[in-house]
Amino acid sequence: MLSSLPEHFRSHGLKADVRTLLLLRKAMQKGLVKTLGDIYNVLKGIIVKESSDLGPFTKAYYAYFLYIPIKPGQTLEDAILRSETFQKWKTDYVEEADRDFTDEELVSTFLDEVHLTSYDIKEVVSGKEIWDKDNPDQEDSDPMDEDGEVAERKLDKMADYSELSLEELLERMEKVREQQKTRHGGGSHWIGTGGISPYGHGGAAKNGIRVGGQGGGKMARKVMGDKNYFPIDRNSTLNDNNIDAALASIKGVIEESATEKLDVPQTIKSGLKRGGLFIPEMSSEKNEELKIIVLIDNGGYSMAPYVRTVQNLFRKMRTRFAHDLEVYYFHNTIYDRVYTDERRTKAISIEKLLSHNKDYRVFIMGDAAMAPYEINSLSMESLKAIPQKFKKCVWLNPEPLKYWPHTYTIQLIKQLIPMFPLTPAGIERAVRSMNSKGTEN
Amino acid sequence: MAETSHWTGSEKYLCDPALAQAFHMARTLGMPLLIEGEPGTGKTELPIHYAKDRGLDLEVYPVGSKSNVEQFVARFDHVKYLRDSQIEILNAQREEKGLDNKLTTGDRNPESLKDYVVKGPAAVAYSKPNSVLLIDEIDKAPREFPNDLLYALSHRKFIMPESGEIIEVSEEDMPAIVITSNREQELPTAFKGRCIYHYIDFPDQDTMNKIIDKHHPGMDEKVVRVALDVFYHLRRLGLERAPTTREILNWLKYMSQIAPAEAVKKISGLEGIGALIKTQEDMERVGRMIGADESFGTNLN
Repeated sequence: MLSSLPEHFRSHGLKADVRTLLLLRKAMQKGLVKTLGDIYNVLKGIIVKESSDLGPFTKAYYAYFLYIPIKPGQTLEDAILRSETFQKWKTDYVEEADRDFTDEELVSTFLDEVHLTSYDIKEVVSGKEIWDKDNPDQEDSDPMDEDGEVAERKLDKMADYSELSLEELLERMEKVREQQKTRHGGGSHWIGTGGISPYGHGGAAKNGIRVGGQGGGKMARKVMGDKNYFPIDRNSTLNDNNIDAALASIKGVIEESATEKLDVPQTIKSGLKRGGLFIPEMSSEKNEELKIIVLIDNGGYSMAPYVRTVQNLFRKMRTRFAHDLEVYYFHNTIYDRVYTDERRTKAISIEKLLSHNKDYRVFIMGDAAMAPYEINSLSMESLKAIPQKFKKCVWLNPEPLKYWPHTYTIQLIKQLIPMFPLTPAGIERAVRSMNSKGTEN
Repeated sequence: MAETSHWTGSEKYLCDPALAQAFHMARTLGMPLLIEGEPGTGKTELPIHYAKDRGLDLEVYPVGSKSNVEQFVARFDHVKYLRDSQIEILNAQREEKGLDNKLTTGDRNPESLKDYVVKGPAAVAYSKPNSVLLIDEIDKAPREFPNDLLYALSHRKFIMPESGEIIEVSEEDMPAIVITSNREQELPTAFKGRCIYHYIDFPDQDTMNKIIDKHHPGMDEKVVRVALDVFYHLRRLGLERAPTTREILNWLKYMSQIAPAEAVKKISGLEGIGALIKTQEDMERVGRMIGADESFGTNLN
């Protein structure tokens, strides 16, 4: 049952596996799933793991359960209006309601029904009881009374619905899905009396109780095309949007240490003085200091498109590691000196740079693209000496990864210094490789 | 039986229906609820108000950069244990010498190991059925912490160090666990997989109105409206640090001390905007874009 669900959601870039199904099953056993809207909610809780998953998830859901494919750039309204599912539903709905609707009204009713959850129903049920009590004159009019009974019956049926065995529920869902897929008759069954939702448009809505989704539909509509809900490509070069994600991974370089530790030698020493009476002595352990050297390539036309990106990352780094950050500049490659100012007027020798404590972490940012002759033996020396001295040294390259194999100098430098793309994912990998080196020493 | 009824907020706390549903689902499934969202959208408030409203015990574990799973679950206080056992010897020696002033070990007895187990919030919450456990700002934790939690969260069982005491909770009695995060670091996938995830959306103007009403009931309508206009306008400017719910509430708290007519004037003059804007750069930006100058934040009159 629904065995193709994980695969389908995975194809939308979401994480779904057999556990997803097991959890969904468990949720059903617990009675959390009674309507299509419930499935949306439950699956959302299980599958969506960050806000940017919500867009793809909604898309996958509409395609899988409703057979409404949403093409890139298409709004939800548009996709719904063009779908066969909606057309079928509309025929039934309009027929029953017996009046004309605008497309907008129809879509919003459709969304309300799709996203109707059992929470909404609960509200309607309790609302209905109150309503009945408050309207004794309701009995005066015969047709209304009849309608009321119909609604009552449906509500009862709805209550019974939870008694439905899990297998039956799953079976129905699967059947409904099949029907959607084959596009043959019974397409409107997914909602309404015979479908998953026992509480379709023929139910309470007819009786005048407004069945409104709790914004599920509204949310879904908002999600489509909202950049907050569509993933920013994590492998795209750094920009303002993903810079924070990148910094979060830089934060990983801060290593933790215990606050207080039992000082064993001291305890023994003072214990012996007391004649074998050991009273524990504590000592606080120092935090490992996070010291960073950043070397930035700020010259040449090839770096120009990335300057802003690099600066931005650098500016944010500066606010985070205000005291332990040293910055130097170079042009294309490092010869016997690096510069302390952006205009490259004041320089320090490479020896001076190498005289820093070896615990410094070194980030080199540059595109490593230059004429091959620029990397002469002097430059080679420096590029070798830096990673030799500072074991935690990485090169972050803003150039897209796919161009790397075509640039000779990138290939060359890559062999000397571990190189990673200047993307959030790349920085995270760089930091991780740095940390693993830290433990080797 | 654990508390699994649907909770939709209390007098003081306006719970977004989607959040309420996610919370209900998490409790029903006995899984932790992981809440993310902008700072100041009431992530931490949810379990606090829920526990208060339902009269349940609340255990809070504020996560910091030095958090570890021992603090969270339980640790054995070796130092105290050593001290107490040494004191016993010392007391025996003194007795031998005929001295009668003794050092005390409190109520602890070195014979009973469990006196030295310091229980963390998790162990406490697990030993009390139906409690609420809040793990606040998990993104501040060292990288290994969430992974260390995995076991605890999926097995519903802790073994106390040294004493071997087992704290176990049935699926029905699982405490309601709420975990909050500001996304300062990405959480491991395996960890997220064990949670029900919910992203709190920033409330729109109508919702914000209701929230303000819960916090400052009886606030002058016009003041609120003007303040909200300014507030949402500021949010649209794309500031580095957009003002959040917490900040508007603080701002209004300040304004509530002032007569409404005066307050409206002050708000339109962007007075006390320092409550909303938190960085110098943003301040300059606001200055440029709204045409106010350096003088806001300081007294205009």
